[in-house]
Amino acid sequence: MRQLEIALIGAGLIARMHLEAWIGAGASVRVHSLDGRAADLADEFGAKAVDSLADALDGADAVDICSPTDTHRDIALAAIANGVAVVCEKPLAADVGEAEEIVDAAERAGVPVYPAHDIRFAPAFARLHELVDEGRLGAGTVARFTVAGYHPRPWSGHASAESGGILTDQMLHGVDIAYWLFGDVVRVHAHYQGEIAAPALEGTAAVGMAVLTHASGALSQIVSRWTPTPQPPIRVTYHVSGTGGTIVHDSEWPQEIQVSGGPAGTFGYYGESPFASEIREFAQALRGGPEPRLVSHDALAAVRITQAAARSAWTGRAVELPVKGAAA
Amino acid sequence: MKVAVLSFAHERATTYAQLLHDMPDVQLVVADPDGAPDDPARGRSTARRLGVTYMDSWDQLFALRPDAVVVTSEADRRRELVERATAVGAQVLCEHPLAADEADAEAMVRACEDAGVRLSMASPACFGPAFAAVRREIAEGEVLGGLTAVHGAYNRPYPAGTQDARAGALASNAPHLLDMVDAVLDGAPAEEVYAQSNSILGTEPGVESGALVTVRYAGGTVVSIDCSWGSADTGPTAGGPAMTFIGDRASVEFTAVPRLLGGFDSVTSSERWVTRGDDPYAVMLGEFIGGVRQGSGVGPDGVAGVRTLRITEAARASLRTGQPVELAVPQKVLP
Repeated sequence: MRQLEIALIGAGLIARMHLEAWIGAGASVRVHSLDGRAADLADEFGAKAVDSLADALDGADAVDICSPTDTHRDIALAAIANGVAVVCEKPLAADVGEAEEIVDAAERAGVPVYPAHDIRFAPAFARLHELVDEGRLGAGTVARFTVAGYHPRPWSGHASAESGGILTDQMLHGVDIAYWLFGDVVRVHAHYQGEIAAPALEGTAAVGMAVLTHASGALSQIVSRWTPTPQPPIRVTYHVSGTGGTIVHDSEWPQEIQVSGGPAGTFGYYGESPFASEIREFAQALRGGPEPRLVSHDALAAVRITQAAARSAWTGRAVELPVKGAAA
Repeated sequence: MKVAVLSFAHERATTYAQLLHDMPDVQLVVADPDGAPDDPARGRSTARRLGVTYMDSWDQLFALRPDAVVVTSEADRRRELVERATAVGAQVLCEHPLAADEADAEAMVRACEDAGVRLSMASPACFGPAFAAVRREIAEGEVLGGLTAVHGAYNRPYPAGTQDARAGALASNAPHLLDMVDAVLDGAPAEEVYAQSNSILGTEPGVESGALVTVRYAGGTVVSIDCSWGSADTGPTAGGPAMTFIGDRASVEFTAVPRLLGGFDSVTSSERWVTRGDDPYAVMLGEFIGGVRQGSGVGPDGVAGVRTLRITEAARASLRTGQPVELAVPQKVLP
């Protein structure tokens, strides 16, 4: 089989995870970034660095966009214009208009867009969806999702409180899962508290809470938090109810390894990284395999819902979403 | 001490009667003269089954001048019964909602104030030493810092055929969670209420089975609660509320009825879920009777009951409009 050629754009934290996963999936990768870090990252994984976006896209099967969100649109449109498939780190774009532009252009050109929502590949959520898909939850009624974790670094970039902060970054995970399980969202109401705008100091605390009303009538409550200290470690929980019962998860439940009395935690073992499963699934699709579990309209829906949450928190009103649009 | 349970209309009345009957030094008397539409003799037969003294009329019961009453009638009869209780100086423990509407609830609070009677709400999660510890820590603020957000759930199994079932998930379950928030926020009024519901479980025609409520309080704390009916299991929020209180420094989770033991029960072919066994209703009644004896008020008071009623009524209004409902602040100070 011919080796996949991947143009990886960006050289930060997410780019590193994706690069490792692409190599693991047997792809050949050229790395391009504007921050001068591409060469070092490429060297580390035996990939090559290229100087321009055009060089990166030339002959590539897919671009993998891991650069800052405000660059996603231009890079995606350039790739689509060249017939290059798009893998894109979340969120697909900074606003709904740009996300729609990417999705529309890709549809017209017949180019696939695979959004990298790694949460769908995390085992607790992948298994949850399998159970729901098999009908074991019955009709969904009410779900609650929580995430609480320390922001890995001082909040960089510049973002206003109006742009949504935690409601559009960390909360995108919960929103994506709620949408994956219960489908289209017709109404969103949200609040945020604490520091939302970036840049912010390290150790800044924030809470976002949203209520989603799905077209099916099901309801989702999503609570997202940046905690002020690195300990305790990130905590993820959900409680999903349906006519067929409940499915619950708490990341504090011990898995294969749990170390007590020291900071080692799990000896660094977490099972396969969700990034590895995700990129493998995208690689299979790019080689003509089955469509991956999420495609362009999922990314668009997540951007629409999180942007609606940001608008709701800013205006204090519930925001209605057109059902047809949400599924476009 | 003479204690009266007023009516068996609410499903928990028999639990209360049983628990009070078992308490030393409590002389229990019950009355249920209005009966049930399909069972006018409900009161007498229930009393006989429980082995407790039964009175045929309210007049007879209040002539005994009880020291305390537990009001478990239909919501629209609670005002009249509470007013009669105040006339004989009886302390009151009242089921949620305090009354059928806010005007009645306020009148009841005034009547109790005028008579020097303590009105307490039957909100079991607000009683007991664990919740008191949470409340104390939050008030001191040293561990949590300022309280910014609260989320929680109470998903008890759908009680088919009961007053609560007919009232719906919102009216039946939200007050238990809202009273906890009210206690922690020391009575700060709600400023804005948003609610969404569904009836997918199809429990009662036209009545919601699932509901999420979001409340913003004066002072800025935002609270998001799930008061949906749960499945008939024994999950962590089936036996009592669970709440997470988030401060700007740390957060605390409170589980009213936590699991103590697990395992498997071959007889029922189901997972074991064993709690410590402190029945929350017994704890509540114990504190209530202790308070009556010492002349001190315990649990959420009548004014808290009015605040909670305002929020659930605003939640209803929000369900109709699909938008948040603003509450006037400052609100009237009672009485």
